[in-house]
Amino acid sequence: MPRLDKPVYRPVKIPRRPLIREKLPDSPKVNGDTLLKINHISVSFDGFYALTNVAVEVKRHVVHFFIGPNGAGKTTLLDIICAKTKPTAGTVTFYPNGRDFIRLTGMEEHAIVREGIGRKFQVPSVFVNLTVLDNMALSLKGHKGIWDSIFHRTAREEYERINTVLQNVGLADRKDIKAGSLAHGEKQWLEIAMQLVQQPELIMLDEPAAGMDKAETEKTGEILKEIKKECTVIVVEHDMEFVKQAADTVTVLHEGRVLMEGNIHDVLADKTVQAVYLGRGGER
Amino acid sequence: MNKFKKHGVNICFSLIVVGLAVMPLLLIGNVVDAPLIIFLGKCMAFSIVAIGLDLIWGHTGILSLGHGLYFALGGYGMAMYLKLQATHGAITEFMHTGGLTELPDVWKPFQSLPLTILLILVVPVLAAYMIGYFIFKNRVKGVYFSIISQALTWAVYSVFIALSPITNGNVGITEISSITGKIRGPTGQNNLIILFYGSLAILALVYALAVFLVKTKFGKLLIAIRDGENRTYFSGYCVSRYKTFVYVLSAAIAGIAGAVFVNFNGSITPSQMTIAGSINMVIWVAIGGRGTILGAVIGALLINLCEYNLSSGGMIEIWQYIVGGIFCITILFFKGGVVGLFTDQIPALMKKAKGGKSDAPIG
Repeated sequence: MPRLDKPVYRPVKIPRRPLIREKLPDSPKVNGDTLLKINHISVSFDGFYALTNVAVEVKRHVVHFFIGPNGAGKTTLLDIICAKTKPTAGTVTFYPNGRDFIRLTGMEEHAIVREGIGRKFQVPSVFVNLTVLDNMALSLKGHKGIWDSIFHRTAREEYERINTVLQNVGLADRKDIKAGSLAHGEKQWLEIAMQLVQQPELIMLDEPAAGMDKAETEKTGEILKEIKKECTVIVVEHDMEFVKQAADTVTVLHEGRVLMEGNIHDVLADKTVQAVYLGRGGER
Repeated sequence: MNKFKKHGVNICFSLIVVGLAVMPLLLIGNVVDAPLIIFLGKCMAFSIVAIGLDLIWGHTGILSLGHGLYFALGGYGMAMYLKLQATHGAITEFMHTGGLTELPDVWKPFQSLPLTILLILVVPVLAAYMIGYFIFKNRVKGVYFSIISQALTWAVYSVFIALSPITNGNVGITEISSITGKIRGPTGQNNLIILFYGSLAILALVYALAVFLVKTKFGKLLIAIRDGENRTYFSGYCVSRYKTFVYVLSAAIAGIAGAVFVNFNGSITPSQMTIAGSINMVIWVAIGGRGTILGAVIGALLINLCEYNLSSGGMIEIWQYIVGGIFCITILFFKGGVVGLFTDQIPALMKKAKGGKSDAPIG
């Protein structure tokens, strides 16, 4: 039995040509309740395949978790969805409500955000020298051009929306302090709030519970359940307690491939998943 | 007290403006001499370029070591106009020496004042746009940008030296008066005063524009870009476009500053676009206080006034070391510069002292 406490990176040899040349239909037929289709994505960094033929559909109004050991390609997958990384093969297509589908692959980051996809990073990244309120105001939907930023004044309704969102994440009384002086957990919530105020249809959270204590993690789970009512959430996470608390669907990634997908109970019961991932918890 | 806190920076700038505005009156009263007024005029030009630099460095976090380029481009534009005024549109002496028989085409637009003023803005803007567009689109940042900006300045410097029939090479364009006429000597006093107030007005306008911009959402975005460029992209802003815009804006401001400078200086040489000159500008902003606009003005005035008073006589040799030393100390201990000293560090000390006193009876 191979040692599992240290993930072993095995370069996976994949015939390249069929993957790249494979002609995929540009508008893959999907059910009405699919929001995001990850269409046979592969990505190689200098010959090492971080993701291999990953195909996942994310449904509307669910909390969809991507879990897996370190190096499984979870963050890379988020990077590909929001165009931070270009895939070697495959496409990502977004099906916004009431509009035509959008091919995200090849778009620019800021354009993807404007289509309604928010992203929270692994390391909390807020604008530390601006107040919480300013952080939120910059994240508001619309008015992203230079002239708008000079001449547009934030409207009262927009401030009201900011207030509502801040109340939901419990930062309403910290509006006027600099984001840099917030505690770690509060920064994480602020960054989530900054995504919410953009009113996205899809929000991606990279380890939102990292570095949080139990109470904070639980609160984050509650926030996720709130968010779910208004949009779809993709979460990358390590903390199994958190996954159990909040997940609707779980996709397990292992060495860049989809190992299995299903609801949390099926995933927990699966023998392979236990072997590659969950078993490690027991060994400790 | 709160009101003072809120408007303290602008009150401070108003005091500087009033102080400068009094100077010509003192000149009429024979309290100060004309060279000081001319020097203060140059200082105002330096303050203007420093404001532009503060927008791009202090607020946006892009360290440009090449703003001497735009300063000189504006300066040359003005100088060419003034030179043609002096020769009444005829070909200059150095062009004769260089083997030219008629006015080069690049000089022709500078026969008219409106066109000159337009070009003083347009040339730096176009140059900055071309440079900025490609650099920022390709996400070049940090020290790499600084190096490129430096190299470009050096390249243009070499071109100006090489094109000596047109630019008079090393010597530059000399023997020119100002836009209001002769300012040196007793007959030029009135012209000097008009020029001085005109420049002061430009300084005030540029300051007001910069303060207005940083107060808006645009200004906050600049800080956002400085603090977290990635986050700004993922908040839906096209960061490269913003960076190009602020770079172009600061280049235009530098061009204006160069034009003001030439009027007081009476000449322009390529040495204005050397790397040392550009780094000096950065030092003014750092010492005055980054990201405060007012700090840029204070820094430029302070350092240049010190230089004016100290760099004669025995101090001339060590002046560069003094400036270097002050710069290092500022970076190490007073990140906020002079302005930061008054807005952050002294209040913090006072609070500490006060806190100590009020704690004592309890303890």
